[in-house]
Amino acid sequence: MQRVKNAVRSRSIHVCVVDTGSCNGCDIEVLACLSPRYDIEQYGIYVHNNPREADVLLVIGAVTPQWEDKLIALWEKIPEPKAAIAVGNCPISGCVFNRHDSYVSAPASKFIPIAAEIPGCPPRPTEILSTILAIAPLAFKDFERERK
Amino acid sequence: MRSILFYLREFIRQEWMRKFIFVRTAPLLTPAYFRDFPVRTGRECTHCLSCMMICPAPGAIEVVREKGEWAPIIHKGHCIRCGLCVEACPEGVLTSGFVLERHAEQKTSIRAEYHIQIDHERCMRCGNCCVACPVNKEVDPQMGAGGYSSNDEVIMRIEGGRQRVIHEERCTGCKTCEETCPNMAIRVARVVEVQQEGNDEARV
Repeated sequence: MQRVKNAVRSRSIHVCVVDTGSCNGCDIEVLACLSPRYDIEQYGIYVHNNPREADVLLVIGAVTPQWEDKLIALWEKIPEPKAAIAVGNCPISGCVFNRHDSYVSAPASKFIPIAAEIPGCPPRPTEILSTILAIAPLAFKDFERERK
Repeated sequence: MRSILFYLREFIRQEWMRKFIFVRTAPLLTPAYFRDFPVRTGRECTHCLSCMMICPAPGAIEVVREKGEWAPIIHKGHCIRCGLCVEACPEGVLTSGFVLERHAEQKTSIRAEYHIQIDHERCMRCGNCCVACPVNKEVDPQMGAGGYSSNDEVIMRIEGGRQRVIHEERCTGCKTCEETCPNMAIRVARVVEVQQEGNDEARV
């Protein structure tokens, strides 16, 4: 049963994108992954933007105060097994927004457990793609067996 | 009917079947011109801190002492890969993509100057800025609390109960004074000019 689950999960990773107040640069790079040039679906990654059916959460943007509770709520809606990936500098450090008197509460790892971080402002679509593919076996393979 | 037959024949063609099942987009490689995170070229760093001064992202670059030598460190997660540190470095310590090649080809140079502004309404003449300044420290190590100095070569000192900037041109733009000022009375403005050789008009 575990082997069947592993096989299925390795070819169907469902992604939910959440923008917690970014400059839109990383959103465009994530969108570029869907384009025919990068073609994210050939690797079995599907973007749904529905946390209830997601496996991977892509967090984009320096977390603004309005997002603090909502990001946690959203994370809790995702069924197990799940992994969160911080895309870009903003959820890692706040990047250029993390200055004196600015309303950001970066990093995102204060609120939800971040499994992987992709640095860059913005990161290349290939970097996003390879990170999702690299984190999937680590987070989802033999999930039920390891939880026991 | 004919068109259905045409399509069926087309679909059982070996070539089509093979492509339909196995074709993938070409592996995506990072092109050579991509301006990635700066890496060291191995040339000696002189600790002039031009890279740190020009960096627009907070906390992205640091010059530290490693095994007796100064070396810049890039912090991923802070660095925005703008390539300005690569351009600003007079020694070519860092490299990223084709930035250094373009820089040499177009004969551009970066010149920075720093302006110190003091809000005398807010300044309470504590002298913290004069004491904290690393250039002052080198010129006049005797300067104690209060920021008084008899040395005329210091950037700034407390003179007759008033903060006075004497040698603005010596400022390296580190903004240490800004950080130590309790009243936010001192401000350092960085003005950066990019000049091209053979081009009389400097582009700012």
